[in-house]
Amino acid sequence: MIDWMGFVIVLAAALTGTVVVVGFYSLGLKMLVRAGRVPVVSPATFTDAITVLTAAEIKSAEKKAAKAARKNPLSPLQKRIAQFAAYGCFAVCAASVLFGIYLIVPALHG
Amino acid sequence: MPVDITLIIVLVIALALFFDFTNGFHDTANAMATPIATGALKPKVAVGLAAILNLIGAFLSTEVAKTISGGIIREGDDGVLITPELIFAGLIGAIVWNMLTWLLGLPSSSSHALFGGLIGAALVGFGTGAIDLGVLLSKVILPALLAPLTAALIAYIATKLAYGVTRRYDNKPDGRSGFRYGQIFSSSLVALAHGTNDAQKTMGVITLALISVNLQSPSDGVQFWVVVVCALAIALGTYVGGWRIIKTLGTGLTDVKPAQGFAAETSTAATILASSHLGFALSTTQVASGSVIGSGLGRRGSSVRWKTAGRIAIGWLLTLPAAGVVGALAALVAHLGTWGIIVDAVVGIGTILFIFLWSRRDKIGHHNVVSDVAASGEAVVIAAEPEAEPKKVAK
Repeated sequence: MIDWMGFVIVLAAALTGTVVVVGFYSLGLKMLVRAGRVPVVSPATFTDAITVLTAAEIKSAEKKAAKAARKNPLSPLQKRIAQFAAYGCFAVCAASVLFGIYLIVPALHG
Repeated sequence: MPVDITLIIVLVIALALFFDFTNGFHDTANAMATPIATGALKPKVAVGLAAILNLIGAFLSTEVAKTISGGIIREGDDGVLITPELIFAGLIGAIVWNMLTWLLGLPSSSSHALFGGLIGAALVGFGTGAIDLGVLLSKVILPALLAPLTAALIAYIATKLAYGVTRRYDNKPDGRSGFRYGQIFSSSLVALAHGTNDAQKTMGVITLALISVNLQSPSDGVQFWVVVVCALAIALGTYVGGWRIIKTLGTGLTDVKPAQGFAAETSTAATILASSHLGFALSTTQVASGSVIGSGLGRRGSSVRWKTAGRIAIGWLLTLPAAGVVGALAALVAHLGTWGIIVDAVVGIGTILFIFLWSRRDKIGHHNVVSDVAASGEAVVIAAEPEAEPKKVAK
């Protein structure tokens, strides 16, 4: 028979997993920004691929990030808390991914 | 007329592994095109990583393989006796259709080609009674329709979430380029998920062939050596296919931002992994395409190009019946006995060779190398830099 419950389970499980991972990762980034540590990642050089930043663009982004960090209204302690919160969020992401893999591998939980 | 069993089993396994190889070859771009395009990963690293994770993924689960080896085609007392000839014909159908669509740049799914080929061959061999329609609907056709929609919905929500959480109205850096780091992990998960779902389809076919000649009982699971060879074949295909894609990625991809790519990939991986666990054999290509479209819609100021989206959908719908027809033809010929098998093998290998040679003289372009997923991204129009608009107002 058609396993409708199966589809609902897939939707629910995949949605929960995705929302947890994406939500906490985004929150982690937000916290990093609040802590004054804006991630500026220069993409690998690749001709014609989209959004390749030039060296000048990366420099200006870093400058902007540094400026924003200086103007950051948070106290050093608050910044540290935000930074730890960010790491906490990333840890939740990693843990939820590992938990998901644990769930689908029968060998791991007999 | 009994054909030499060892010969045909060897042929079937070789063909199945070749199919696995083309699957990996065809699908590397699904996992790795976005991180390469957004600059999250260096091309060399991306391809190596994808190959290794496909290899690992293949070892994680065998639910999908069980669906294929023990469900769709009725075996046993009340069903049909599956012959290796039938599986052989099915594989020829799948491979020929897969290579053809690849050459023509049609969006298609390797998985549906495989199912189509097998079903077509079974129908010709044994009539409509051979197919368990319930299992076919429940584990193949409905997942095929629902999975891309599921993935699109999830990717839409995830993209809204990612942009919403990181949005800033004060024109300060929002840290979104940090999603590039995230993409290293999310795309790795996609590669892993691809290994779990797609390598298993080949394992299922080989297991089915072994059952058909009584080398294995139907109640047993997948044998370990089958898992190993399938894992190796898909990993090798991924690695080889990756280089081809990298050489031509410069021809351009749709506008994918790191935040969007991260959301889409997470959605793809989650949907495939959850489905694999429940034994749904779905097309990873279609799930990834659904995610890319969904996440495109999740960005501000986007709209759908219905014409492009429709063309993609028609390509998807066509795969199953078309591969079925090729599989059925191959089965008709195979029924003639040993000579039929030889004719099948010669025609099949000839077609593959011809297509391969043809594709070499053809200039490799966006249409036949970069993934169907990237092509499906073109179904969404995104207004030029909607996120940057407040900036202009501020000035």
